[in-house]
Amino acid sequence: MRKEELKKGVEARIKTDNDTDVLQNDCEIIEFLLDHCEFDFFPQNRFFVRVNCENVNKSKGVRLKKFDGVVEGAGLSEGYAALAYTGDVDFGHTCAEWESVISLGIYGLRNRVSEYAQSNSDTEHKKRFYQNLFRIYDAALRFIKRVAEKAAICGHREMSEGLFHLCEHSSANLYEALQTSLIYYTLQHFFDMTALRTLGRLDHLLYAYYKKEDTEYANSLLLDFIRAYDDYKATANIPFAICGTDTELNDTTNEVSYTLLDIYGKAQISNIKIHLLCSSKTPTDIMEKAFRLIREGNNSIVFMSDEKVIESLVKQGAERNDAINYHVVGCYECGAEGELTCSCNARVNIPKALELTLNNGRDMLTGKQIGLSNNGVFEDYESLFSEFLRQLRYLCASAMKITDLYEEHYSEIHSSPVLSSTYPSALAQGGDLYCDYAAKYNNSSVNAIGLGTAVDSLAAIRKAVYEDKIVSLDDLRDILKSNWKDNEYLRQIIKHKYPKYGQGNRKTDEIARLTVDALSDAISCKPNAKGGKYRLGLFSIDWRWSFGEKTAASANGRLAHEPLSQNTGASFDADTEGCTAHLLSASKIDMSQTPNGAIIDIDLHASAVRGENGISALVTSLKTYFELGGFAVHYNVLDTAVLKDAKIHPEKYPNLQVRLCGWNVLFSTLSEKEKDEFIARSMR
Amino acid sequence: MKGIISGIKRMEIHDGDGLRTTVFFKGCPLRCLWCHNPESLSFEKQIAYFEGKCISCGACGGARDEDAAEICPVGALWKYGVEYSVDELVDVVCQDEPFFKNGGGVTLSGGECLAQAEFAVSVARALYEKGISVYVDTCGCVRREVFEKIIPFTDKFLYDIKAIDSSVHKNCTGKDNRLILDNLKYLCENNCEIEVRYPLVVGYNDGECEKIALTLSGMGKKLKVKVLQYHQFSASRYDALGMTNTLPAVETTANDVATAVRILRSHGINAINGISDD
Repeated sequence: MRKEELKKGVEARIKTDNDTDVLQNDCEIIEFLLDHCEFDFFPQNRFFVRVNCENVNKSKGVRLKKFDGVVEGAGLSEGYAALAYTGDVDFGHTCAEWESVISLGIYGLRNRVSEYAQSNSDTEHKKRFYQNLFRIYDAALRFIKRVAEKAAICGHREMSEGLFHLCEHSSANLYEALQTSLIYYTLQHFFDMTALRTLGRLDHLLYAYYKKEDTEYANSLLLDFIRAYDDYKATANIPFAICGTDTELNDTTNEVSYTLLDIYGKAQISNIKIHLLCSSKTPTDIMEKAFRLIREGNNSIVFMSDEKVIESLVKQGAERNDAINYHVVGCYECGAEGELTCSCNARVNIPKALELTLNNGRDMLTGKQIGLSNNGVFEDYESLFSEFLRQLRYLCASAMKITDLYEEHYSEIHSSPVLSSTYPSALAQGGDLYCDYAAKYNNSSVNAIGLGTAVDSLAAIRKAVYEDKIVSLDDLRDILKSNWKDNEYLRQIIKHKYPKYGQGNRKTDEIARLTVDALSDAISCKPNAKGGKYRLGLFSIDWRWSFGEKTAASANGRLAHEPLSQNTGASFDADTEGCTAHLLSASKIDMSQTPNGAIIDIDLHASAVRGENGISALVTSLKTYFELGGFAVHYNVLDTAVLKDAKIHPEKYPNLQVRLCGWNVLFSTLSEKEKDEFIARSMR
Repeated sequence: MKGIISGIKRMEIHDGDGLRTTVFFKGCPLRCLWCHNPESLSFEKQIAYFEGKCISCGACGGARDEDAAEICPVGALWKYGVEYSVDELVDVVCQDEPFFKNGGGVTLSGGECLAQAEFAVSVARALYEKGISVYVDTCGCVRREVFEKIIPFTDKFLYDIKAIDSSVHKNCTGKDNRLILDNLKYLCENNCEIEVRYPLVVGYNDGECEKIALTLSGMGKKLKVKVLQYHQFSASRYDALGMTNTLPAVETTANDVATAVRILRSHGINAINGISDD
């Protein structure tokens, strides 16, 4: 069927009545799509196909409409509109249980469901779950067979033979293991409509298959495999992980880890990203290899600290082995094995809490009461800071409340039969990950945005109002409300001469530490609506633009509507002391409280890290940061001359990439404003 | 005791090994035409005015003195020359101590750090006592006794050789080079770790390459020589400081550096290309 017909077919099938069995309804839609979608072969892609049902299945969006009024009903719509806080469902940040997907294949996964169905169908609820899984797995196998037949007709012999084999067996070789990854991705991503946001620890998953093949052939398969995924152009890129440790804490870096980096460097692609999981046992030479790639412009690599990630997950309640086998979804968000990672439910605007502190709980831009009232008088900095924390806790509570209002209704909104079938906990319980909260860990997340902006603003108020007394708090409030009108000199002094987070200044960094501790107190391990807990994250990605747009001028010299600080790092232009100072500041934060991610973006000019010593200096900076307690770090090596030239002559740099937020984009696709920001960043 | 410092740079990787913090001492006995740190030539405090940074706020009232630099919000008026006690300076440069591994540490540079002899030796000693690696980046044009005093606390000398021919040296730097060559010999005799640096300026000292190779071969110690590229990046600072710009018009190309490296190597010198650091 053509896409339009598929859409109509899905629309006709979506049920929204209160007594709808969402799992059953979703399986009916998935089966319909699998049996009727069309597909075509990517040019020069020896792996799977492009299906014509991308974004066709809008069932969860339709069902969500029922809950449009819940935020308003709870009296939280003004704060939401002001982006003081947000809360939402999250079906977009999952990791399959890849170990069983790759080893069993689609055929084997179905058999495993069978085994559970035979031994575990003691209730109607469970029976119904297994029956629904059979329905979609049988349809999936029919679909694979349909592709195999067409591939045979079109002369794609390798693909057709592989697919026919996979219809009745698990993967026999590397080609079929890679093919299985892509088939699974397609099933979950385009039919089940639950976004799959990592390909797992590929070096570990593929090693046994890789070793059985001729190396040259295996490498060419891996290159085509990476390019095949790149062809899907996943939103915000699709990552895979390498390195890390096993549960005995032995380093698991292997030959494939190195090969995957080589291939990533060779592939000239922009839509794949890599999480390099670093422990104290990770070989230095693989870090060096990664830094060489970054320096050449293949910079879509994030370094994660095993030690800190595992500590944070254990603190969150994960069993130790589950924490060690963690996955990283999306940009930097970590989940334990068996966790259904919901990393982007809620957001809190940290600078907004300070705005409300200064303005009696009212939004400075709209005048609306969205925070808690106060009398606006603070005798000293300490009392102002404690009021800031009170407002912040209120914003956190509001964000979680909204999230609960949605998440308690998952059984009426969305199921994920494809994903659920890979989770042992879901199979054992006979329930869906969403509808029945059947994951081992059913957590939800809150991301706090604009830490650097808020910390610098608090530091500025402490110095200007309470220490140097160059301006009264009342006057400063008016200045901020007027967006620094007629106070450009004061703004410039504060912007350029005041201490900032990111400069390794102990007194300022202490504000960051206390603020994150307070956020963690308010969020970490608080119960959610799914029988799980809330987790804290400190990344802002591109939300810093939208949240900044709704945030009044701040005391650090930021103008109203300007973006907030990026991720867990310094405000733009504030990291004047360089990379080491920036990392030292960040290391003062207790990142064992942020399993949902805390990331520093380091921008370096190409000339500052040239030569062999440049590579070893980068490795030293990374290892030191992780020894000091860092969670994750990302390096951008920028060359001003190249960026400037690329702005004028985009045709000369077709693959020039920059890290936009938690993902890479081609420089040529940026807006002029964003291009200028990167050029400015490269010149610091 | 106070020293005068024109700047401190963290995470420097080109002034020695590992990750280093470089301290630029203010004041130098030489006047190299190509000097890329003009703010470090004079031993006195100086105020620079960077027109491009000025936002015309009028706060300085057009003054160009220390008070005005203090008032300037954006650093368009910038004071070069901050006085530090030994303890103060050690505190500042030790901020990055966690990163000083794999050969990293502190590099004393300038200007000529050894021109503030007593202060430099005290700083080096204090760092040495804290177990921090100290490199001394020097033009060599200082009294022998200063080297005698600082050798025990120095892990490596980064030692500039600009020319062997005395008249070429005098033309380029304003001073004769006998003391410099003698001091290098002395460091070699004392078996100090040395990396010689040869700033290559075409039309000025490129003809010295072979002579440098021969002289260094006769020092009785196998020396590593890094050939540094000359560029005009510092021109704006000459302007900002109101100093006469003496910078040669022709910048050194990558090809020039490669040629010099080849010549040095043909004489058995362990030469490093300062552009690629290979």
